[in-house]
Amino acid sequence: MKQIKSIGGQDLKEMFAAATNWLEKSAQDIDALNVFPVPDGDCGTNMLLTMRSSIEEASRAPDQNISQVARAMAKGTLMGARGNSGVILSQIWRGLAQSLNEKETIDGHELAQALLQASEMAYKGLSNPVEGTILTVMREAASAAQKQVARGNGNVISVLEATVDAANESVANTPNLLPVLREAGVVDAGGQGLFTLLEGALLYLRGDVELMQFRKSRVIASSIPVTARPLQLSAEEEEAFGYCTEFLLKGENLDLDKLRKKLQSKGQSLIVVGDESTVRVHIHTLDPGNVVHYITSLGTMHKVSIRNMDEQHEDFLTMQKGRMPAVDMAIVAVVAGDGLADVFTSLGASAIVPGGQTMNPSTKDILQAVEAVPSDKIIILPNNKNIVPTAQQVESLTDKSIEVVPTESVPQGAAALLAFDYEADFETNAKLMTEAKSGIKTIEITRATRSTKLNGLAIKKKQAIGLLDGNLLAVNDELDDVLSELLARIDLDKAEVITIYYGDDTDEAEAERVSTGIRQQHPNLQVEVVSGGQPHYNYIVSIE
Amino acid sequence: MTVKIITDSTSDITSNLAQELGITVVPLTVSFGHEHFLDRVEMTTDDFYRRLASENIFPTTTQPSPSLFVDAYQKLAQESDEILVIVVSGELSGTYQSALSAKSVVEGKCRIEVMDSLSVAMGLGLIVIVANKMAQSGASLDEVAAAIKRRIPRSHPVMSFDTLKYLAKGGRIGRAQRLAGPLLKVRPVLTMRNGEVSPLTRLRSQKASLDYLYNFVAGIASIEELAVEHATTPDDADRLVERLSSIYPRERVYRSTVSPVLGTYVGPNVLAVSVLEAEGK
Repeated sequence: MKQIKSIGGQDLKEMFAAATNWLEKSAQDIDALNVFPVPDGDCGTNMLLTMRSSIEEASRAPDQNISQVARAMAKGTLMGARGNSGVILSQIWRGLAQSLNEKETIDGHELAQALLQASEMAYKGLSNPVEGTILTVMREAASAAQKQVARGNGNVISVLEATVDAANESVANTPNLLPVLREAGVVDAGGQGLFTLLEGALLYLRGDVELMQFRKSRVIASSIPVTARPLQLSAEEEEAFGYCTEFLLKGENLDLDKLRKKLQSKGQSLIVVGDESTVRVHIHTLDPGNVVHYITSLGTMHKVSIRNMDEQHEDFLTMQKGRMPAVDMAIVAVVAGDGLADVFTSLGASAIVPGGQTMNPSTKDILQAVEAVPSDKIIILPNNKNIVPTAQQVESLTDKSIEVVPTESVPQGAAALLAFDYEADFETNAKLMTEAKSGIKTIEITRATRSTKLNGLAIKKKQAIGLLDGNLLAVNDELDDVLSELLARIDLDKAEVITIYYGDDTDEAEAERVSTGIRQQHPNLQVEVVSGGQPHYNYIVSIE
Repeated sequence: MTVKIITDSTSDITSNLAQELGITVVPLTVSFGHEHFLDRVEMTTDDFYRRLASENIFPTTTQPSPSLFVDAYQKLAQESDEILVIVVSGELSGTYQSALSAKSVVEGKCRIEVMDSLSVAMGLGLIVIVANKMAQSGASLDEVAAAIKRRIPRSHPVMSFDTLKYLAKGGRIGRAQRLAGPLLKVRPVLTMRNGEVSPLTRLRSQKASLDYLYNFVAGIASIEELAVEHATTPDDADRLVERLSSIYPRERVYRSTVSPVLGTYVGPNVLAVSVLEAEGK
């Protein structure tokens, strides 16, 4: 293996010039990951521009020893820092430069030490450090470098290799630490950017220059498997993002702590870094004027940038839409309950509109989902008799082609979804799916909300009642008695599969007990129990 | 001189059939940890599934080394001056590369052509069988190659799976990714499109998948060749052949099993029909 005992200023500059080019190739991929702190989709680009400024400054370094070069690069990142991740990157460089101060060259040991100091400095710049971000990746990478040195592997390449490996793992783990990443099914963009930079530096140092020419860094896969990225649309209004405000403040005897405290009340995602003469500030605020007013009282403002993040977010959504695998047909399904939403997503629904019995979604809700899905041909599964007409309204409100497969229950919807033929065209699929739903029997079991008389049945409040294909046909004290009664009305000889979706106030053990009963009575049937999480119905049962 | 036909073991042309037809089959390798077996040569399908069920090790596979192709080329070059090599889709395996790179090593005047079938299992096997038939009846290498080129898009391997777990683990899931991870028990049905694994549909029961396979064959107007194969459920495959006998003579159906290397990706309980669609009049 190639061994390098020490590196100097020229090496440092070249490594990161190469790493910056390496990052450039992946910048767009990284932009697409961006969900934290706001999904504005420019993290990769911001880190790239920050690094470019750093490399530019490095070439102006008065001397080529590592101390001078690192200091120039730190200055470059501070002056050119863009966005949250750019500012944190500048902080990382500041830590590196401090650690490398007065050094001509460094060995692996000193590199590890510098990485550690960089990590500590990165945390210091933030008023409220969040784990599962670039910070975590920097910290864990630095700690791996320390361990590598402790093992006696002091050469620069082996230290950097350990750093890159740890950064890789750390990035993959970010969704475990940050729920917003987990929900989006992505890794942290800033962390990914840092990994890519470190990887680029390592590749260059190892001499893999040719590889760097022809390939690009990969986006690390989340360690949590994500089958699809469904669009979950809720009726709630989205929170406003405000303005991303960035600038450089120059003055004399600036007090960073005081500045930080003062700005904290004015917005979110605050970063204040620098020294007493130059400070870089990044803040998401609803009132940038207020911030500007305060800052100009302390010194002069430079490189001011105020961007509307709602616009950025919209651009990001447009970009996301463009990047989603282009499907020529997509399915929008209406279901209630997390379990059912997961089932439908896993079977290929592109968007879920929450809704069902007693909570019918509006035409607008369904229309929104239809518009959000990256396809021009949409099949809608209403999965409830009362929602079918609502879904049918959508066609006149959109330019997209719409087919409503009039599924009246969740089991019908699942059967229709499964019948989707990946090679058939839009109209044929709508036909196939409509046919598929007709072979399904649906039983729904719930408890009566009041005493009444219906279909000649006397029902007492809280008694179990059962519907077969929408008709109330059985009442009893126990849920499973009602189920047995309804199953007895169906010709089960022709059935093959029974699926029991249990609701959010029914426990799994109870559902399993019910299924065991059915298996014993009908040994030829395949019986499956699935958590539906639906409100209202204790059981929704599909017989096919 | 008769053109000699070479394929690889993922064609599911069994040793007996290969011998009978005079086709050379170059084996891939299946490995359990550090134990390596030549596909179908050193490990049978039954042995493979026994080990798969009883061990925690997940098997891996390796394309044939070019030297295996070199050996085959050199041996056949003594018998013929034209060799046609038809192998598994390059999207699924590097076998095509091995076959191609072996070409440059072989000296002499024997002409060797390597073709990517864009298919696998009996989808590949049936193409190879037709190529062999043409070669036997005296067609030249160019004639066979041209005929095969026309047949490649007409070969339809349709496979009903128990699970896509193995395909996903082996990294060969391709466009069928959309079918992965269902929260209901479903039997996915896949085929090959442009050399890649591609989804057809999903069914809820074994019976429904048998119906689907039957209907798939029944929906094809004119059949040139037909094959049925199984992994661990010979009875189901036999029943399917029986049912198909009303539309295609039973004695003309090639009955095979998935090779251990394929088994690594398809897992147990797989059932497949491959149809080579005849050219329209």
